[in-house]
Amino acid sequence: MEQENILEVKNLSVNLDRENIVDDISFTVKRGEALAIIGPNGAGKTVLFRTLLGLLPYRGIVEWQKGIRIGYVPQKFFVEKSFPITVQEFFLLKSPHFWMPDHAFLEHLQHELSLVGLEKEILIKPLSELSGGQMQRILISWAMLNHPDVLLFDEPTAGIDIGAEETIYTVLHKLQNDRGTTIILISHDLNVVYRYADNVLCINKSMICHGKPENVLNPKELARIYGEGGFYHHVEEK
Amino acid sequence: MITNLSLDTIIISLVIGIASGAIGAFIILRRMALVGDALSHVALPGIALALAYQIDPFWGVACFCVAGSIIVWILERRTKLHSEALIGLLFTFSLAIGILTIPNTEILESLFGAFAPLSFPVFIFISVAGALLIALTFFLAKRFLFSIISSDLAYIESPKWSKWYELALFVIFAFVVALGIKLVGALLMGALTIIPPSISKNISRSMASYILVSALLGGFIGFFGVTLASRMNFLPGPTIIILGIGLFGASLFFTRKA
Repeated sequence: MEQENILEVKNLSVNLDRENIVDDISFTVKRGEALAIIGPNGAGKTVLFRTLLGLLPYRGIVEWQKGIRIGYVPQKFFVEKSFPITVQEFFLLKSPHFWMPDHAFLEHLQHELSLVGLEKEILIKPLSELSGGQMQRILISWAMLNHPDVLLFDEPTAGIDIGAEETIYTVLHKLQNDRGTTIILISHDLNVVYRYADNVLCINKSMICHGKPENVLNPKELARIYGEGGFYHHVEEK
Repeated sequence: MITNLSLDTIIISLVIGIASGAIGAFIILRRMALVGDALSHVALPGIALALAYQIDPFWGVACFCVAGSIIVWILERRTKLHSEALIGLLFTFSLAIGILTIPNTEILESLFGAFAPLSFPVFIFISVAGALLIALTFFLAKRFLFSIISSDLAYIESPKWSKWYELALFVIFAFVVALGIKLVGALLMGALTIIPPSISKNISRSMASYILVSALLGGFIGFFGVTLASRMNFLPGPTIIILGIGLFGASLFFTRKA
């Protein structure tokens, strides 16, 4: 059965400081789909994401299905060392009761943490003391806490080691299978795109290709995205 | 024992101290510590205008501080200048106007605070408004934190409201500064919003304790500051600030390891 569109983007352009960062991009995302957005550094991937989230002004059409709940895992999330907040308090930002959290919320929270392979003991740790891998899992869990219909994930594995990277993709895949969550992710890693994405959108300011990875990721298209001789295999932004 | 210290002053010092500590907790996290310092200078033209029209200076202070905070909020959203630069421009201008327009006899009190007798309506207004601002700060704490930790995530969670919570933070802050200027003074009031959270940040491991301890310390510094000033016949503003800085120094020995 044909799935309904959860997101429709038509002729989207983003102009920041008189420079076209994203130029005339159109695509759709279906419910339950995993879409990977790829492109070289400075291609406008993060700007595209932020535009989809309503954080930047744009021309064109960005239409989410009505009443859709969106979870977002940002690429950069930095908590200053001296910022006195525990992991539990970070999650409580999503609870109706910050000062006196109810039991049901905390139970649900512990369950969600277990899905990303974290123990409840982490809740009392200061947020600023987490490792890169722990923080990434916390952010996924945080974004997934209210069971959003769609998860936007910017560079899921930038800056974390390969073991943790593997876990994160396993978790994402599980969430997609178990909850039917639609996943839109930005990645530099073509292995990830082949293994986990149903469709891929290639951009380099303007749109270069859109389709199933096995159909569109051929040497000719890759050369168009990353340039001739471009280093496109498992490149990470640091 | 406390002598020459009216119950009015004790109540006001407690309310202003607690309110300063509570809202200051968020101001420090948002790295706006100097905004409070400068915001209180905006009060000076307000004082001059109120004196010229022979109304209680408090009302001039309140109007100018709140208007100043709204201007900073708008400018911060509209320009690419950092808020420090905006504050530098706007508030030194206010200080210059204030110094030129306030009568010489009122300058010292305006800048450094005084045990000036409060009219009954102003006393009631400061006490009730202070208590309401404390309650509102705790009520909105989650919203303030959200936008400080990540304004993007706060927007996604609440697209329609997130910018208004930011404005609420600015306005509550401006009101608290305005309430305290009479007692602590325009030059020093900002410091009362910075000192309690700075001490609390040194010793707290969780957000809840950081905010609560900051509020309580504010009350403590306010109360003991005016008590000490009254006994020693000092101006209340400088005494409160010096006591606070002393406590900050002591807190360095109990700083949690990062």
